[in-house]
Amino acid sequence: MTLARINDLAAHYTAGDTNHHALDGVSLDIAPGQILGVVGESGCGKSTMASVLSLNPGPSLRITSGTMTIDGTEVDLADTESHRRLRGGTVALLPQGALNALNPTRRVGALAYDILAAGDKRIKRAEAMERTASRLEALDLPPRVLRSYPHQLSGGMRQRVVTALATLRNPRLLVADEPSSALDVSSQRLLVDLLRRLVSDGLVDGIVFITHDVALLSELADRIAVMYAGRVVEEAPSRALVDEPHHPYSQALLASVLVPEPGTRGRRVTGIPGSPPDLKVPIAGCPFAPRCDHALEVCEQVRPPRNAADARVDACWKNAETEEALHVG
Amino acid sequence: MTLLRHILSKFAWYVAAFAAALALNFFLPRLLPGNPVDSLISQALRGTTSSETKQRVYETYIREFGLDQNLWSQFVTYVGNVLTGDFGTSFSRYPADVGTMIGDALPWTILLQLPAVLLGWLIGNLIGALAAYKRGGFDRSVYLTSLFLTAAPYYCLAVILLYGLAVALPLFPTGGGWSFGLAPEWSGVFTMDAVSHWFLPFLSLLLVFIGGQAIGMRSMAVYEVDADYVRFAESFGLADRKIVGYIFRNGMLPQITGLALAIGTLIGGALLTEIVFSYPGIGTLLYDAILNKDYPVIQAVTLLVLIVVLVANFLVDVLYGFVDPRIRAAERGDR
Amino acid sequence: MKTLKALPPRGTIAAAVFLAIVLAGLIGPLLAPAGPGALLGTSFTPPGSEFLLGTDHLGRSVGIQLVHGIRTSIYIGLLAGITGTLIGVAFGTLAGYRGGVLDEILMGLTNIMITVPAIIVLLLLSISLDTRSVTVMGLCIGFVSWPWTARAVRSQIASLREREHVDIARLSGSGTMRIINVELLPYMMSYIVMAFVIQLYGAILAEAALSLLGLGPSGTASLGVMLHWAIAWESVRGGQWWVFLTPTVFITAITFSLLLVQSSLDTVFNPRLRVGKAAR
Repeated sequence: MTLARINDLAAHYTAGDTNHHALDGVSLDIAPGQILGVVGESGCGKSTMASVLSLNPGPSLRITSGTMTIDGTEVDLADTESHRRLRGGTVALLPQGALNALNPTRRVGALAYDILAAGDKRIKRAEAMERTASRLEALDLPPRVLRSYPHQLSGGMRQRVVTALATLRNPRLLVADEPSSALDVSSQRLLVDLLRRLVSDGLVDGIVFITHDVALLSELADRIAVMYAGRVVEEAPSRALVDEPHHPYSQALLASVLVPEPGTRGRRVTGIPGSPPDLKVPIAGCPFAPRCDHALEVCEQVRPPRNAADARVDACWKNAETEEALHVG
Repeated sequence: MTLLRHILSKFAWYVAAFAAALALNFFLPRLLPGNPVDSLISQALRGTTSSETKQRVYETYIREFGLDQNLWSQFVTYVGNVLTGDFGTSFSRYPADVGTMIGDALPWTILLQLPAVLLGWLIGNLIGALAAYKRGGFDRSVYLTSLFLTAAPYYCLAVILLYGLAVALPLFPTGGGWSFGLAPEWSGVFTMDAVSHWFLPFLSLLLVFIGGQAIGMRSMAVYEVDADYVRFAESFGLADRKIVGYIFRNGMLPQITGLALAIGTLIGGALLTEIVFSYPGIGTLLYDAILNKDYPVIQAVTLLVLIVVLVANFLVDVLYGFVDPRIRAAERGDR
Repeated sequence: MKTLKALPPRGTIAAAVFLAIVLAGLIGPLLAPAGPGALLGTSFTPPGSEFLLGTDHLGRSVGIQLVHGIRTSIYIGLLAGITGTLIGVAFGTLAGYRGGVLDEILMGLTNIMITVPAIIVLLLLSISLDTRSVTVMGLCIGFVSWPWTARAVRSQIASLREREHVDIARLSGSGTMRIINVELLPYMMSYIVMAFVIQLYGAILAEAALSLLGLGPSGTASLGVMLHWAIAWESVRGGQWWVFLTPTVFITAITFSLLLVQSSLDTVFNPRLRVGKAAR
């Protein structure tokens, strides 16, 4: 049983004569009731994936292969016009930069009505206001917010209003694209609690939470997917991934951040040598190979296989060979 | 209180600009070499045969402008006359009062241009916002058409429309404010007739305003379409016209200046359209006055245009101070 | 040169059209068999083998008037454009670089000049001048059209002034003129070129408008003067299309091509405004 699944997704941005391969064979499963964290550096393709998952690919993104299923229905990735009716109701986006996400010249109530009317044209204004008010209340916002313009609200209130609006039509899947990156630590805390509550109260069925902050994910997410250079290099239950990352990139990523938990003490914080590859040329083997301490000859040339075991997946030649050795032995 | 200070400082600026305009209007024709006021009068009266008329105009002119006094007291007299609404007597249509002539022409100009400006502003801004949002081929064709409409001088468009829709295809009258044989009155027949004469000049102005506003709105909205609030609204699958409406609302504020300024340049801006259509407004009045060297009329028209432009600019500045407190803040910091 | 390569195709085409018209104005009068004022045929002869573009109300050749008219209009435009740009850049640079009282005075003057419509000042100037030579007209237009350039250049210079290389030049004892010439103006060249194109555009329009009102250059043809007589002699209503359409088409072609060149330059320097390639 899955809530949403993308399979072998590849997409690129076109700028002039060059293609920027933002996503390269990405597969992910989101189970109902689950929060899936996606982590990676800037430019690793996580925001592109968020835009595809939330059915908001920009005009310059070309999806070249892959399938996507949400809530049991297959989405035609080529026909972006068919996405419109799924947006907001089936999938919703919790955007980056929530502070500017509200139309500055529209009252919150009017915006909420527009959003509800996009899903149900016959909805009455009074009913829309009632539904919005109760959702705002659930997020500890007073009803007067309905009559406010965005600039009359504090930053924290705006963040909650955006969250309330994003979930207003009870979407099955909520895609949160770095909603926390501009927030201070206590607002981040509140947001994390809020998202957990949305799932536990059943207002949304699942959340994909995209961030560069592994520490935040280790608290929030059920599972974590690590992305690098347009690919998912590892995906595992949060605990398992943080405690015992399998892919060399995940190891390096975790080593480069402080996780304030027992066992962190004494661990050295190290950067990753080298820089991410140029995505303008397709990569034949493992994109991390040039920076990897464990790289084998095969890593540069052949795409690593997906090693799946114990509810976790990674894409690394070294692990594949270890596993093979175990099987043989 | 900052608002009051803002208004007062703006007001002082405009009083200065008005004084400069008044001085230009008075001194420019008088100070240039080889062109004293006497020669203005003799030029104006060239071709007038009746010596009695000559004498009367001469005396009137001397009296009205105090030509026997020095230039400075003449200027004071002139300012005094202008402030009491006395614009003098026409040379070419002696003894018509210039103020009355302007009063007769002004309603035609306003009725022609005000609807064109208002409607052109609305349509132009909507098209501009839509073009910026839709991009692609639609954007390109809107952009190039608008550029063409604004680049071609508006009287050129008027000439082409007049020839195309009144001469080659005789759908509309070829000019004037009403048909020969009718006289201005409040009757159904006359109104219908006047509307049919009004339509082509109106259309030619409307198209130009649409073009200008669409370009302005487009370059404004290009920055709006990538705004976070547009992305967020899109993520709910809101209809395009809804989102264009959002962009319109947000890009509109600066465009209000465009509207107010367009109303300000209203009388001055499109005088030439009236000439092409022989429309009985201020433009044609000015044209005839120039051909007949009717200086009192010319100076009254230029002064009127100057005043309207200054007042409109002032109102925009004040309005902006009310609408957007950030303007005031920026002004203090910037200049 | 890189800039010119990045020019969108429509900009290149527009520049070519403009240059072709200028060329016609340069060469045409040399090839013409008679002057623009010569009465060569009967009035309102339609275009044909004798007169390529027909004759006007007096029987003058419209074709000969056209090439002379283009020459006059371009000459006035260039003279006014150069004058206006020079004054605007000089005032803007001084005000922006020096700041202080000089800035206040120059910008006060600029603001007043911007508020008072240039066409009205020109009109007042023109009615006072009994004979208007093309040079005087060009200079008059140039003298009233500098304020927008001055204001724009001032704000550019004011921000350039804060750059490090300017500080270094100042600290190493360079004089004001040297700093302006070596450290500031080179960075403004693209900007000044665009300002000049706009000035040229505005000046050609101003000449046409004044001439249409009957205040054109004396004793010569210009595009505006041709249109003035065409309208005064009712050739639009009379259906003598060659008389009024010729100046109309050429005024439009000149101004439209100049505006296209300017907007293309703008997209080169201002990538955000580029017309979106991808449709939504």
